Order: sequence, then structure tokens, then C-alpha cells
Amino acid sequence: MGGYLPSSPPDHGWRTERFAGGGDPLEVALPAFDAAGMAALAGQIRDEARAVLGAMPVDAIAAAIDAAAERMLDRAHPLRRKAEALLPIVTGYDAESVRLGLTATFRNFRLPQLRRFLAADFPDPGMLDGFRPMPRGGLARAWGPALLLHVWAGNVPGLPVWGLARGLLVKAGTIGKVSAAEPLLAGWFAGLLAEVEPRLAGCLGILCWQGGADPAEDAAFEAADTVVAYGGNATLAAIRNRLPATTRFVGHGHKVSFALVSREALTAGRAAAAAGLAARDIARFEQQGCFAPQMIFAERGGAVDPAAFARHLAAALAAAEARHPRRALSLAEAAALAGWRDGEEARAMVEPGRSVMFGPDLGWCVSYADAAEPLRPAALNRSVTVVALDALEEAAALVAPFRDLLQGAGVAAPPRRLHALAEALGAVGVTRIAALGAMTVPEAGWHNDGRFNLLDLVTMTEIEPAAEAQAELYAPHAD
Amino acid sequence: MIVVEETALGGTEAALRARVEAMMATPAPDEATFDSLALDIFAFQFEHDPAYRRFARQRGRNPRAVRSWREIPTVPISAFKDLDIGCTPPDRAARVFMTSGTTRAGRRGQVHHRSLDLYDRSMRLGFEHFFMRGAAPMAMAVLFPDEASLPNSSLAHYLALALRHFGTPGSRTMMGPAGIDRPALVAALRGAEASGEPFALLGASYAFVGLLDALDAEGQRFALPLGSRILDTGGFKGQSREVPPEVFYARLSKTFGVPAALCVNMYGMTELSSQFYDDGNAGLPPVKRGMPWLRSRVVDPLTGRDVPPGTPGVLAHHDLAHLGVVSAILTEDVGVMREDGFLLLGRVGGTEAKGCSLAVEEFLAAARTPAGA
Repeated sequence: MGGYLPSSPPDHGWRTERFAGGGDPLEVALPAFDAAGMAALAGQIRDEARAVLGAMPVDAIAAAIDAAAERMLDRAHPLRRKAEALLPIVTGYDAESVRLGLTATFRNFRLPQLRRFLAADFPDPGMLDGFRPMPRGGLARAWGPALLLHVWAGNVPGLPVWGLARGLLVKAGTIGKVSAAEPLLAGWFAGLLAEVEPRLAGCLGILCWQGGADPAEDAAFEAADTVVAYGGNATLAAIRNRLPATTRFVGHGHKVSFALVSREALTAGRAAAAAGLAARDIARFEQQGCFAPQMIFAERGGAVDPAAFARHLAAALAAAEARHPRRALSLAEAAALAGWRDGEEARAMVEPGRSVMFGPDLGWCVSYADAAEPLRPAALNRSVTVVALDALEEAAALVAPFRDLLQGAGVAAPPRRLHALAEALGAVGVTRIAALGAMTVPEAGWHNDGRFNLLDLVTMTEIEPAAEAQAELYAPHAD
Repeated sequence: MIVVEETALGGTEAALRARVEAMMATPAPDEATFDSLALDIFAFQFEHDPAYRRFARQRGRNPRAVRSWREIPTVPISAFKDLDIGCTPPDRAARVFMTSGTTRAGRRGQVHHRSLDLYDRSMRLGFEHFFMRGAAPMAMAVLFPDEASLPNSSLAHYLALALRHFGTPGSRTMMGPAGIDRPALVAALRGAEASGEPFALLGASYAFVGLLDALDAEGQRFALPLGSRILDTGGFKGQSREVPPEVFYARLSKTFGVPAALCVNMYGMTELSSQFYDDGNAGLPPVKRGMPWLRSRVVDPLTGRDVPPGTPGVLAHHDLAHLGVVSAILTEDVGVMREDGFLLLGRVGGTEAKGCSLAVEEFLAAARTPAGA
């Protein structure tokens, strides 16, 4: 049983997804509504959220999320155990990656991290509870959408948890449409929130429908004040075109990340470690998340040259393969990866300075280019291109043509260069500079796609200073 | 020195060619004949094709280490776009067939043939066996541009051979730069109805879609004489809308009066010298088969090894008639092995990441759109 509904929801049916990854088959039933049922559910959640969340201080909401996250961090908690047992079957990721991923994710949802998350967007998070004075005079208060609809995609565990926290912190009633590729964690977390803080129970609904076709989707699009969606540009455009003109749309498109490894990181003593960190970013979640690198620019001039770094990286990926085997690939994924490898090999035959290394059964693949070339994605699932540069400063120009597609850059460089590179990369559209090895675990308060996670969802009501001053004229104590 | 090499090459190639021709003349060649010829041809191609040799070595294969045709390394068809694959240097080619679609460098995949003798012989035997099925030459109309207008199209050459060897005088291409010459085609079809002699309609699948629409709009139907048949090939490839096979063959059958059992789909590719056919489309999905010098495997793209029977995988073909180029080809098509052939399930689909990572295809699509558009 998956998904989550408030108690006494409108009439509905169920929709079953089947999973076979990693052995035991698993069936997950998710609530499914018709258009009228969806409209009724949306109204119910909207009203409940307005009444309940509207009256709860934001810090109390954060405390509830913290309490739920603490349980998910407890490896003995039944839900945590269930997640560790079932998510590998559903997503195909190996058990260890799921365990590490769960811990890394839920660490970000404890109270101090949530407060940082709030502080990243609001000078005074109290403005979510009531009017607060503004530095320039007057007062302001932030309102979240009464009903927020999330359209999640993909199978990276944790994405829906970010979404649920975002919505609750701005006091939005939330409907989440889970992806068929990972339909479980969002519903479990919603149920856990309702358990630790029963006041939240009626403010959330987690369900699933066939995107693009279901009349229930039209009803949900009609009801939502704000829609946050993930997916490729075609999917996002299709959703945006179906929303009423007044509905706010926040789209997170598919993106590409890369890494920069400086000559200072390519000393005899450091190069292998840098390769290990890069391998971690590549292997964890199989590059399915857009924060994972698909190309690594390595700088000449260190004791270890870029070609040797590529060999270190190949060795590190081979070691990662032994510890955490890649999840099973679909035929299309396997063919895409093999096709990419074949294409890289063909280029290597005609272009001097190129070479390709790959593991048995193509468990990983490193393509090496001895000359600068523009950014291009590899084939995901542990594939990467290492490109040698005379100076890392060349990288910004090589990624600049793809400005709309850039996400983050992992940078291994000394402080002065880190700052200079960040300046140059930011100017061409990179929104996150991460430590090598930490690219797949963004920190709390991270501005996803360079946007404000919470501010993008709210509207402000401002009381202008003149209105305050004028009010004085009508006060009982006025002269 | 160069002369000696050329003599050696010619000698070996001539001997292998003679063995392939002998196999083609044998009614039911045995497994061992195919295997030993495939291994000798691999050794020949390994020796005379530097790109294939490098490729095979990268996969850890060489003629001494390979024991069965199933272990011979397959060349992905994408490689034809980046490399000069084959035993014929481009300047020695009698004929160059080009694939559709271009590469990074704007180049189309090229297949260089020193001679088309084996190609032509293989085509004639396969066509006779799977399409003519013992019928005498008949009146034919081809819905594809002719060889003169498309000299680098292997399909144009294939259809020219069909007309030359299996068509009665007057059989011709009825498609030019302006499309199908419908009045002429309708006249030919009506003529066939009146004559009572069987008629064959051959062409690209997409051309049939447009034709069926036009004939439907005009309310034209035909009852072609007994023994008439239709050959379509190539799928729709974005040239017309996609039509599900059951609808496509039902419409062909209804419009032309040709039973679905005599509506044959040919599956061929520029990167091969022989073709596959089904036994008509009365029962779907139909099994595809080739002549004995053409064999197929269904492989796991990650390992290159055969998948368990009944499991879908990527089709790899081994064509002994492709002696002058390279015999073992890895396609981009999905198939399932059957006892008497294979089912063709379509192209390997594009992939989107399961997360928010950008996949190559989407990157290319986005990169074609100017930033900010």
C-alpha cells in the first residue's frame, strides 16, 4: 500500500504499480481519483491547511518535520527498515546506496537545518506567521499557496521529501503526484508526519495518476494555486500549457553538472583521493540526479597528468563497482550506454589523444580527451568524459553555450582559484559550486536551480508606512 | 610490396567469395559450413580492415581466440558514421551506399563495396525464395525513387534488381521527385485487374501510407488478380505518421485486394548485403527470416553475449555475403529470438534519466534550440 490520504477522503479507487528489481516482486497500490473526487480532495486539503497550518507557528511545523526526520534517521525505526528493504527493489539502486542516501537526505530535515532553510530565504521567518516590521518601514507577511501541487519525476529517493518540506514550511496544503519509478517514500513520510503531529494529517495527499491523460490531472491543475514540476523540458512545457493563466508554475528541468580538478589537486599525494571523490559523485545514484557530474575537466601541470587522473578515476570506479554494483539497467539504458561507449571508441580510432576505458560488462566507462572540448553529457549510469585543459579557466567558455542546462560544478581547487572559478562559472549560468565527492548531497538551504525554494512559493502582503501613519489619524487616542 | 599485398588480398577474397557462392548454391548448408566460413571471413576482414582490427582488439578478440561465429565481434552500425569500415579503401569502391542520418561532422554513414556481385546474388536468391515463392516474373510497380536519382541508396539498388530480374517488361518505378505518379499507378493497377495476371507493388512503407490515404480519399479500391503481392520496407522513420502494423496490413489488403499473407515486409539495412523477410502479415507479429548465409543473434548490449531465449535484446546480424565490408553488425533494433527466426520489436528507444539528469538526446534537442528561445 502506498500514497497517503487524510482520514475520510472522497471516494476513490486504487492503481497498482509492479516492481521486480532485485529479486522479490513487489506490488504497490496507490490511491486514484476521478475528476470529481480529485476536486473534492483538493478542496478538503485546501480548507484543512488554511485552518490548521494557518494557525501553527512555522517553528512548530519545522519541529514536526524534524521529529519525523529523526525517526527516519533511526535505523531501528520500522519505517526506516521498510525503506531500506523496499526502496532497493523499487528503484534498483543497491541497498548500501539507498541506506547512505536516506541518511544523507534526512539529516537535512532536522530543526537546525530547517531553520537554515528558512533563513536562506526569509530575513525573518516569522513573516510566515504574521506581519513583521520591514527595515524600510511598514510591515510584511508571507503567504504560501493554499493548495500546492507537486509533480515529481524519477527515482532518486528524497526528492519528494524536499518538496513536502518546502510546502509545509510555507503552510501550503499539499497534493503530491509520485513518480511510478519511486512511489513509496513520499507517502510514508506524509504518514509519519501525521503520526508525529496529528494536526498535519489532513493537510497532505500523496497519490498517483497517469500524467498527461487522466481527467483527475485536469482537476488537480485547476485546483492548485501553485504547481511545482520536475521533468524534461517537453514535459514541463506540456504541464505549463495546461495550467490556468493565474496559476504559478515552478519547473525544474533536466540539467547537467560537471567537475573541475585543478593541478593543485593532482599532486602525487592527492590525485588518487580526488579520483575517489569524483567516483563517489558518479556512482552514487548512477548519475540520475542532475547534480552528478557527466564531464570532468582536469588540469595539466600537476605531477599527475589528466590522462593519469583518468586512469585513477577508472580504478576508483572499478572499486566502486565491486563495493556497490550498478543497478540493473533497462534495455534502452543499456543500449544507450553501450552506444555511447561505441561512439567514443570510434572517435578514439580516428582522433589522436582520445581513449576509452570500461569495466567488464560495461559496469563503468571513462572516455578521455587530450584536448579541450565543449561540455557534452555522457550516457549516465557511471559513464564520464575526462577532458584535459591547460588551465581550468578555459572551462567556463566550454560550458557557456549550454547556459540553460547547467546545474552545478564540483570544484577541487585552492581557495583563491575556487573563488575566481566560481565567479566565472556563475556568470555563465552555473548555480551551485560543490565540493568534489559531495556533489550528490546538496546542503540544507541549497537553492535548487539557483532559485529560492520558499520565496518562489509565497506571495507577500505589505502594509505601507503611510497606511500605518494614516491609521493613527483614526485611532481612539487621536487628538 | 604493395602489388604483393594486393595479390594476396585478391586471392583470399576470391577464394572466400567462391566459398560463399558455393554455399548460396547449396540447398540446405549445414551449421558447420556457416561456422567455418564465418571464421575464415572474420580472419580475412580482421587482416584487411584496420579499423575493424583495432575495434576487435579493443574487445579482446582476434581470429585465433574466436571459436564460433557467435564470438566474432560485431561492429555497431553507428561506427559507419565515424569510420571507414570495410576492406575496401574508399577510392577503390565500385559503389558507395550511404545511411540516412548524419554525424557530428555532418557525414553520413558510408558502406564501400568493391563489387556488388555478392550483394546482387544474395538479393536475387532471397527475393526469389521469400517474395516470389516460385512465381514467374510479373508486372511490378515500385514506390521509391530509382537508382539514377538515388545512386547511394541501397534500397534503390535493391528495388532496381527486383524490377530487372523479376519484373515483366514495362515494370517500373512510379515515384519521382514530385512523389508517386498516381494516375500512372492507378492505370497499371486497373490494367492488372483487367489482365488477370498477378501484379506486385513494392516500396517504402511510408510511401504506402500516403498512397492509401490518397486512394481512400478518391474512393479507389482494387481487386488485384490471384497471386498478386505487396512488399513494404523501412518502416515510417518520421516520413509519414506511424501506423500500427495490424492497421497497415489490413488497409493494404482492403485497398488492393491482396491477402495479408502475401503482404511481405522486408527488413534490410544499408550496412548489410542480405535481407530478412517475413512470411506475410496474416499473423502478427510475424517472424523474420533470412537465407542460410545470414544469421542473427539477440544480445545484451552491455556484454555483447546472447540473451536467454525469449528475452528481448539488441539484434546482431552476421551476413557472409557482406564479405567485402564487415560481416558482423550490431544494430539499433530490438528483437526476440524464435526457433525459426526472430521478432522485430522496433528501434531501441531513447532514454530519459530516471532522475533530473539530462540525457544525451535531450541535450542535443536543447542544444539545437538557441538559448533563451
